[in-house]
Amino acid sequence: MTLSRRTMLKGAGALAGAAALPRAALAADPLNVGFVLIGPVGDFGWSTMHDRGRQRMLDVLGDKVEATQVEAVAPPDFDRVATSLVRAGCRLIFTTSFSYFQPTVRMAEATPDVFFESATGTATRDNLAIYNARFYEGRYVQGVIAAKKSKTKQIGYVASFPVPEVIHAINTVMRGAWSVDPEMRIRVVWANAWFNPGVEADAARALIDQGCDVLCQHTDSPAPLQLAEERGVFGFGQASDMTRFAPNSHLTSSVNNWGDYYAERAQAVIDGTWAPTDTWGGLDSGMFSLAPFTNMDPETASHAEAVVAALKDGSLHPFDGPIVNQAGETVIGEGERLTDDQIRAMDFFYEGIDVAMP
Amino acid sequence: MTLAEAILLTVITASTPLLLAAIGELVVERSGVLNLGVEGMMVMGAATGVATAIVTGSSLLGVIAAILAGMALAALFAGLTLGLAANQVAAGLSLTIFGLGLSGVIGAPFVGVQRAGVGKIEVPLLADIPVLGPILFRQDPFVYASFALVFAVAWFLNRSRAGLILRACGENPVSAHALGYPVLRIRLYAVLFGGGCAGLGGAYLSLVHTPFWTSGMTAGRGWIALAIVVFASWLPWRAAAGAYLFGGLTILQLHAQGAGVRVPSQLLAALPYLLTVVALVAIMAVRGRGAGGPQALGQTFVPDR
Repeated sequence: MTLSRRTMLKGAGALAGAAALPRAALAADPLNVGFVLIGPVGDFGWSTMHDRGRQRMLDVLGDKVEATQVEAVAPPDFDRVATSLVRAGCRLIFTTSFSYFQPTVRMAEATPDVFFESATGTATRDNLAIYNARFYEGRYVQGVIAAKKSKTKQIGYVASFPVPEVIHAINTVMRGAWSVDPEMRIRVVWANAWFNPGVEADAARALIDQGCDVLCQHTDSPAPLQLAEERGVFGFGQASDMTRFAPNSHLTSSVNNWGDYYAERAQAVIDGTWAPTDTWGGLDSGMFSLAPFTNMDPETASHAEAVVAALKDGSLHPFDGPIVNQAGETVIGEGERLTDDQIRAMDFFYEGIDVAMP
Repeated sequence: MTLAEAILLTVITASTPLLLAAIGELVVERSGVLNLGVEGMMVMGAATGVATAIVTGSSLLGVIAAILAGMALAALFAGLTLGLAANQVAAGLSLTIFGLGLSGVIGAPFVGVQRAGVGKIEVPLLADIPVLGPILFRQDPFVYASFALVFAVAWFLNRSRAGLILRACGENPVSAHALGYPVLRIRLYAVLFGGGCAGLGGAYLSLVHTPFWTSGMTAGRGWIALAIVVFASWLPWRAAAGAYLFGGLTILQLHAQGAGVRVPSQLLAALPYLLTVVALVAIMAVRGRGAGGPQALGQTFVPDR
């Protein structure tokens, strides 16, 4: 066998990959799928659910696939990790944070023979697909339940960063709440972190002290929900079923389910039918679901169930007009609906939300 | 309970870990040793404390384990800097990095494990004092311990003979040694005390503040404690004031956000750091006392025999 530069590089790459990632595939047969996670797999939220998705993919496709996962990757380390995944032989790589989107675009352009999938993102390339779930539908249901449960008529929202995903979630919570009681108000505290339990807990304390008796959270740790339990108010879980963190306070959680999507996409690569799609699945798609409703009377629960059903069959859409922004300007009128691109780029609060845009 | 009382109550819980770590480091520095490993000792205390509490089911054992873990790391630091006369800054920095890594390993099996926090204890009679009672005397045991520590350290450093000797070691170890005092042993005790306090502060985070373990959960509080010691001019009462000021501003900025104050949240989040430094420096300028710190701070001392 002649030792070409190409085989040398391949060997070196495989060695480097094998050293860095013990589970890297050396055999060529099964499809090796890479996963890059923003948090620890034990965050009991966002990253945990991507990890479960990976396991589900392995269960569904069996020995047709292998998976290589790197957890708690800070955005500055992304390029190094993604490069080592490519070298280790991954042909399909899921990058599971919006913080990775720009670097993923760069990687996709640099390595055209590898397929990338970015969880949340704004554009596709020939070898880059984006996927996300319409979590705002769950936020609408949270708003409905919060308005039913609240006595002080104030919802507290522990927010992470003022990005469109969080902004349209806050707007949608209030849309849901106003559908029950137009008097509902919201207070928002920005933790400026996705995962910082101490700050999330202090933010929750501040909101409760200011009179909020239902907490929504857009951060990943169970700290705000635990605080709700401790203070005897109500709260919603984030990303996974957090009932056990607050048995007396938990109302419902958005439960992410990426596994079937991962299996489908890996199968598409194996079949050679992979295409750079833009997937945004709602409650009807199964990409996320709501945990069983707890700590509420049957009337509230059935109201919430009816809202879920309406969201699923499309008779209720959270972004139907009229929509008026904080400044009192009409964004869209009666009978219109925001497009997906408009929702993804949302940078304003609705009229009636007395919160400063940071 | 009024909003003001509620805020003050939260301020105390947010400030207590800072105060515990700062008061320990203050004693260490007064003996002439600069231990930059507070963050590492704190996070080790947090991991060991919650791990022990989960395994044994006893918060008290968790607290003891946390103090011992902080002291163990401090003993390592003492071995390097006092025994082998290594550079204190380098040893302290590596202690922080080491502590952050090791705590992750210790805490790994306990990620996401649930346990109830430590409850509050009411002090009879005192808790019924209007306004102050509920804020100061309906707290968890850690808060009482922090009050007691500030009193004890202030008395020890300023009023006791042992405190005078400890300060002599920090001001002029050569003279203290010439007078026959065991400088290195005194410094060892001070370093161990600082480690224990940092471990206790860490345990407060993982057992009371957010009762679960997550990697790196101290999130820089050890560094803030170090800064408080310097800006408090190495005086216990000022360190307490600094810790409460910092904790108070942190909580107030969250309340300001919740109340819809139209200031960018990023700026509000930076305010506690800015205002605490400004306030403590202003006190230093007005009172003009103790600004220099212990003369021999950070210098290695090798006794000649």
